[in-house]
Amino acid sequence: MPASLKNDYLSAPDDALVGWAQKGDTEAFEQLVFRHRDKIYARAMMMMRNEQEALDLSQEAWVKSWQRLHQFQGDSSFATWMTRIVINLCLDQIRRQKKMRAESFEQIEEDLGGVERQMAVEHVNPTEGLEKDELRKRIDEAMAKLTEAHRTVLVMHEFQGLEYKEIAKRVDISIGTVMSRLFYARRRMASLLQGLRRERSE
Amino acid sequence: MKANFMSDRQLLEIMAYSDGELDAPRRHAVEKLIAEDPSAAALHQELTACANLLRAHEPLGTVPETREFYWSQIQRRIAAEEHAATRAKAPKAPALGWLRWLAPAIGVAALALVVTYQQRPGPTILAVGEASSMTFTSEADGVTISWIN
Repeated sequence: MPASLKNDYLSAPDDALVGWAQKGDTEAFEQLVFRHRDKIYARAMMMMRNEQEALDLSQEAWVKSWQRLHQFQGDSSFATWMTRIVINLCLDQIRRQKKMRAESFEQIEEDLGGVERQMAVEHVNPTEGLEKDELRKRIDEAMAKLTEAHRTVLVMHEFQGLEYKEIAKRVDISIGTVMSRLFYARRRMASLLQGLRRERSE
Repeated sequence: MKANFMSDRQLLEIMAYSDGELDAPRRHAVEKLIAEDPSAAALHQELTACANLLRAHEPLGTVPETREFYWSQIQRRIAAEEHAATRAKAPKAPALGWLRWLAPAIGVAALALVVTYQQRPGPTILAVGEASSMTFTSEADGVTISWIN
């Protein structure tokens, strides 16, 4: 790469940085890391709920992406490609830890037929009273209360934008299980967020 | 409002409808259900609003390390993995590989030597200075050979 281009890292679009990095330019890759590291870490944190694990897996994702950079064809954005890598690493880690088993009362309830059926329908209004940052924080807190199995499916569907079929394939569960977990997770989130708002207004 | 009078299938189909995951016939069936049943409509509204809320407010995070430290750790890992890959690809040194095949023979010879000495009438004592030994170790092949004179 010409020396003059080296000064353009900050302003270069991801595609250009990826192209340079594919040719072995580590400075271009470092710039990509700098740009997207928080998002990748946040995604890992959402899945694992453990700072050290999230940090470790996010770094592992960057190592993997460097090794597989030649496979990136630009079919999706670089950020999407990266989040896919980190989600896959998180899933592998969760499998290793065998945390996907029925691990809590909530999971057992779901398997028995679903407490979500008994929940009152909530009217979730995102604009009511809460600032965006505050709302993000509340959502994060509510997500921490979900079981890992429910949270995983929710993250993959709502934040990763994957279809039921794709989630089923990646998590290695049936589409029916994906649907019931997602249904439960959403209903629980609606209930938790409504509860947080009630607490706040009291 | 409780959503517990609908079947499991209907509940899940309402969600699948809001996610655009239904085929045309099922989509029409759910649309009819939502139009006719206020609790189905309320559930659909809740599920859609919740999904929209989450998508619009994905929790953010900040790497709890400086840029330099975070990057240096990644660099170190990349270097370590590249080093490991290079070592794995490198062909093993063929030298002295044949010694592996000699190991059983050496063992038998050593045993025979011990038996022979034990069967001699008197003990053979090698005075210090008379005995000499030489040891050869190949870590790559996991073999140690000792010659005793």
